[in-house]
Amino acid sequence: MIAPVSALTDVITATGEQRDQSLDALCRDLTLDGLLAECRELDTFRRASDNLYQRVRALFFLSAIHRFHIPLRPAAAAPAMIPFAGYSNLLKRRFEEAIDLFLAAQEQHGPSAAISSALAAGYRALAFQTLADQVRRSVRSIRGNQWMFRTGHPADYPLRLRPELLTGAPVFPILRETTPVRMDLTHSGWSDIFFLGMDFPEGARVLNISIDLAVRAAGAPDAQPKPPVEAYLRVIDQPVLRLTSVDLQATTDVTSIAEVFDFARDYLGLLKAAVIAGGIVPPGMEGATQPLADLLARLTGKPGHGLELVSKVNDIPKGSRLAVSTNLLACLIAACMRATNQIHALTGSITEEDRRLVAARAILGEWLGGSGGGWQDSGGVWPGIKLIHGVPANEGDPEFGISRGRLLPNHKIFGAAEVSDATRERLQQSLVLVHGGMAQDVGPILEMVTEKYLLRSETEWAGRKQAIGILDEVVTHLERGDVAAIGACTQKNFDGPIQTIIPWAGNLYTSTLIRRAREEFGDDFWGFWMLGGMSGGGMGFIFSPHRKLEAQTRMQAIMNATKCEMEHCVPFAMQPVVYNFAINELGTQANILTGGNALMPAGYYTLAVPPLLRTEARHLSPARRAELERFTDACRHNEEFGGMVHNLFDHLLPRGQDQESGRAHSLDSLLEAYGFDRLQHEQIQSDLRAGRIGLAQNRLPVTSHIEDATPDSLDGRHRDAGMQALAEGRVAVVSLAGGVGSRWTKGAGVVKALNPFCKLGGRHRSFIETHLAKSLRVGRECGTLLPHVITTSYLTHDAIAQHLEREHNFGYPGPLFLSQGRSIGLRMIPMERDLRFAWEEMPQQLLDVQAQKVREGLHAALIKWAAQAGEGANYTDNLPGQCLHPVGHWYEVPNLLRNGTLLRLLEQRPHLNYLMVHNIDTAAADVDASILGQHIASGAGLTTEVIARHLEDRGGGLARVDDRVRLVEGLALPNDELESHLSYYNSATYWLDIDRILAVFGLTRAELSDTGRVNHAVRELASRMPTYITLKDVKKRWGKGQEDVFPVAQFEKLWGDMTALPELHCRFVAVPRQRGQQLKEPAQLDAWLRDGSAAHTDSLCAWE
Amino acid sequence: MRIRKAVITAAGQSQRALPLQTLTDRDGQEKPVICILIEQALAAGMEEICIVVWPGDESRYAQAAGRHGSSVRFIAQPAPNGYGQAILCAREFTGGDPFLHMVGDHLYVNSGAKPSALRLVELAEAEECSVSGVQATRESLLPRFGTVAGRRAAGRSDLYRVDTVIEKPTPTEAEQRLMVPGIRAGFYLCFFGIHVLTPAVMEILAKGLPTLSAALAELARHEQYLALEDDGRRYDLGAPYGLLIAQLALALNGQDRAQVLSQMLELLADRELHTAAAGGLRQ
Repeated sequence: MIAPVSALTDVITATGEQRDQSLDALCRDLTLDGLLAECRELDTFRRASDNLYQRVRALFFLSAIHRFHIPLRPAAAAPAMIPFAGYSNLLKRRFEEAIDLFLAAQEQHGPSAAISSALAAGYRALAFQTLADQVRRSVRSIRGNQWMFRTGHPADYPLRLRPELLTGAPVFPILRETTPVRMDLTHSGWSDIFFLGMDFPEGARVLNISIDLAVRAAGAPDAQPKPPVEAYLRVIDQPVLRLTSVDLQATTDVTSIAEVFDFARDYLGLLKAAVIAGGIVPPGMEGATQPLADLLARLTGKPGHGLELVSKVNDIPKGSRLAVSTNLLACLIAACMRATNQIHALTGSITEEDRRLVAARAILGEWLGGSGGGWQDSGGVWPGIKLIHGVPANEGDPEFGISRGRLLPNHKIFGAAEVSDATRERLQQSLVLVHGGMAQDVGPILEMVTEKYLLRSETEWAGRKQAIGILDEVVTHLERGDVAAIGACTQKNFDGPIQTIIPWAGNLYTSTLIRRAREEFGDDFWGFWMLGGMSGGGMGFIFSPHRKLEAQTRMQAIMNATKCEMEHCVPFAMQPVVYNFAINELGTQANILTGGNALMPAGYYTLAVPPLLRTEARHLSPARRAELERFTDACRHNEEFGGMVHNLFDHLLPRGQDQESGRAHSLDSLLEAYGFDRLQHEQIQSDLRAGRIGLAQNRLPVTSHIEDATPDSLDGRHRDAGMQALAEGRVAVVSLAGGVGSRWTKGAGVVKALNPFCKLGGRHRSFIETHLAKSLRVGRECGTLLPHVITTSYLTHDAIAQHLEREHNFGYPGPLFLSQGRSIGLRMIPMERDLRFAWEEMPQQLLDVQAQKVREGLHAALIKWAAQAGEGANYTDNLPGQCLHPVGHWYEVPNLLRNGTLLRLLEQRPHLNYLMVHNIDTAAADVDASILGQHIASGAGLTTEVIARHLEDRGGGLARVDDRVRLVEGLALPNDELESHLSYYNSATYWLDIDRILAVFGLTRAELSDTGRVNHAVRELASRMPTYITLKDVKKRWGKGQEDVFPVAQFEKLWGDMTALPELHCRFVAVPRQRGQQLKEPAQLDAWLRDGSAAHTDSLCAWE
Repeated sequence: MRIRKAVITAAGQSQRALPLQTLTDRDGQEKPVICILIEQALAAGMEEICIVVWPGDESRYAQAAGRHGSSVRFIAQPAPNGYGQAILCAREFTGGDPFLHMVGDHLYVNSGAKPSALRLVELAEAEECSVSGVQATRESLLPRFGTVAGRRAAGRSDLYRVDTVIEKPTPTEAEQRLMVPGIRAGFYLCFFGIHVLTPAVMEILAKGLPTLSAALAELARHEQYLALEDDGRRYDLGAPYGLLIAQLALALNGQDRAQVLSQMLELLADRELHTAAAGGLRQ
């Protein structure tokens, strides 16, 4: 035990309420020296402590101090170099070594925000790694799981299939498992994250209900709910593991042990994880080279025989927030465990002990597959309504002495005495369960919840305590049968604790749906109910029972209409749906199908039968022949198999050609419409294939002399000159909104500029609205309205134009122009060498062991895809919009010239001299009079704003290259280490002197009306700009909310390279981080809110 | 408590011929397996032996029992209703007495001075309770054996007070319910095939329990039941090469050990030399 020697270690080691003190409150008044002293103590403490909770909390404290407190101390503002070796170790997940290197740099050069940003990242990553390792250890050490990790050879294989499944050859009986999914009635502030249960078991409680579902379609409003997930298992007369996912339309015959562990090879990763976690091929076998057939022979006791496992999800789309995939995993695992006698009951329900084991195996399976959920997710295995709660670790538990709570919670099932049948019925009659259709990434949210819990930030901790209270209220109302009060509680929960803890759980789409439901149903709308990690996907709306049917119809219409309005600004994965649902009082169930009933689900046969029909009858095995006979018989007599013959013909003779040609036609017309330069494209394509351009060729020659450069300091003395220029109407703003922000929505193709990214001024605002609000404020301050230009591209123009029209320019009274893009590219299948360069040569963030394995498998599959699809070929196998790409922001300024926007601006404002050009995601960039004045005074043609580099600022920066100070793109740096020697990062906000820039193009104001002259000038200058090849992730959507992400090649020219032109006088000015920070990923938002940047941005805006 | 009766089960349909196979015993004499088992029972102090056989096998077994025929009686198991019920067939024979039980398709070979059956009998008589011979067995073999768990008796490293018995558990269940402190990870205490059983076991079996393990699990709930760890070897005659391995084990532990070893070495050397010569010719 280490004696606590600081205020913060005191908090960590305290036992009572003192343990719940907020880190922010404790650090707020500390000086920089005080903070550093605490950090030293915390670091010593966490290295010496052998207690999981103490180590993890100390790590989160350290991370938060370095992220949110040290950078705010003025003495830490100076730029500093972040050691590349440390950065490199971070990428390799060698966190301890990285931290030591950063600490040594801090010791040597003194504290700085830059080094602190690196330390914050290192401590945070180490904290999550420590947690993940502990969950993994706990799952492995659960009794009943341990043996699977030491069984490494088929000769040691201890499982045998139950004899009941081995009778009746040639077609063996089918074990069919059906499992409900779960919904969480109380949410409880994400209290089902593993660490909360392990550290605060008293606060880890959820009310979890097992439900059956049916999608309510227009043609089938009365569709009967049934268990949404099903697994089928049987012996087959071939020595393979045959895996089939009916809903993903994928099937494979696994013939080697190695293939079982290759999760990303196909869409069958979940089934493989179930086979492993179910013990059929235990995890200890990974790497074994013995034939899978040997193992299957031992399992079945019949050499030459194998096993078939089939999964089916009954039309429930992905992202339902009902833990469909975890319950499917649990369902498959339960079937595997029943079949091998690990669960004694072959049919019917299973015991509590077995349910717990299935839940533990499901956690293991999720870890194997590189995913992860909460501990309540496999709740569908249990029946009915239950309270799932954390349990303190006691002697005998593997967690005892390591964490306060156990990894696995307990389940208290409510009987009819606690929640009456009438209440259950009323609940079913009140709740409208929907999938709103939004695409979501819940991962970062769960990390935020863990972090905030450990930091005990005042408001969030109060929110958590309130959420705990709401659970008790819901239980009371449930016992009383008061569903209206439950609705009020779930609404209060969403409005209060949920969004207090994680503001990003709510969004404009959800709040619009709630508002519209309330407008339409008034007091008969009892409340909104958020399911799972965030809203927008699976959600519930509680209505008075007498209006439920109407509400189901209306909610479908409201969601459709709202999605239609928002689909350009909010990422949707699918069309919204409403479910019919029923509480499932049985939990997971199994039965045996024998004789003529031993049939797989109908959808299975559309996959399995066509290859059989193509095989000559004499080559079919007796089992296959008998199965075909049963199937044929079922087609005649079984209702479920009605229409199968038609489906089969569709599969045998695919009718995709019309769709394909339609898609090609639409792509051609788009290329035509947006001025696609086919000659330029073919040149680039040929250069790419020949290796003249590519990721490796993006780089400057290795002989280039590159060193750090210093920008000008911000000089407030020029403010008056700037104000005067503003007042005289000599300035305009250009917001670059041509891109879709593929990192923002991971390639979903919505318009980032319109994404309502954060609540500012009391409600959700988009980037465009925010920028206009800043222009309005500046215009008011200087007395002259600022002209504001928004550049668009083929991807964004229509959406932005319509949105601005609908919102009446967000009330912006000044001149507002849209500058439509005039350049477009066609994406290409990447070259294998570029994929390998990106994944093997460039620094990559290694993932956690299992996730990394999955990623490597995926990379291998994508390289194969590129080779099969034709390297360098046009990428056309997607929606037309996803095949095109904007060609880089270099073209945005020339487009102002080519499309006449600058001409019109000058006509309106003949005195216009300066443009401030900024990225759409630089939320706090405004027309600052001081910087404008400084730009004017310098006489420069181009002034670029730069910020002191932090760890996350990757992508080039300010450098002296062969004696010229200029911006260098990250992809142009000859080696990765060089970037670490550059102290300043490009914020991508530029100040342009119009006449001097025109001169670089060889133009004057008078020549702007000469289109031919302008086009020629632009083409000439473009040819002097480097062409970069980049890889972008593009989503391809299919099925019910499924998405694949493909890396595609495209080219770009970038505006920063203008600073390399010798004839252009360039200056660089260092601005504060809050001004220059760009928001590239939604995961940045939380820190942006917490470090005061959001409030700062809000203060720059004048909201109408 | 004195134990004078033994029950050997040999009624399994697939194993009924195994006890009739002839092997050369440690003393160099050729004997049927059943005869070796009978001699082991007699050596443990048994006076009466009952062999439960497949209907119609009585005379063949009587012939195989040879000179021990006077100590042996045969009972046919009328229908193949499982192992537990086979033992129950001897209920009349055991009457109210405790008895030694061995299975007919296994051979037991001890390296130590005292045979397994005798150790078990002595312990059962001293403790006045049922005792099963057990052995730490790798989890991959669990599908073949009944398995016990319990607490180690104070002062003895080889004796356990049994509280759980499960027939052919999966490793999942074994890990949850059958782990015993002091036994290596992945190993469990599986039945050795020799038991001394009290009359209570017959009463429990009479309730219709299908396996001896199920009956012993029930027994452990009501009275003291011990397991004695045995360092001998058991040989499953029904396993592939089971008879051959059992014969080798007997021979290598018997008076002709040197002779058998030298013949085996000769066999091996001949084969290797032949293979090497064939390889040389090919080259």
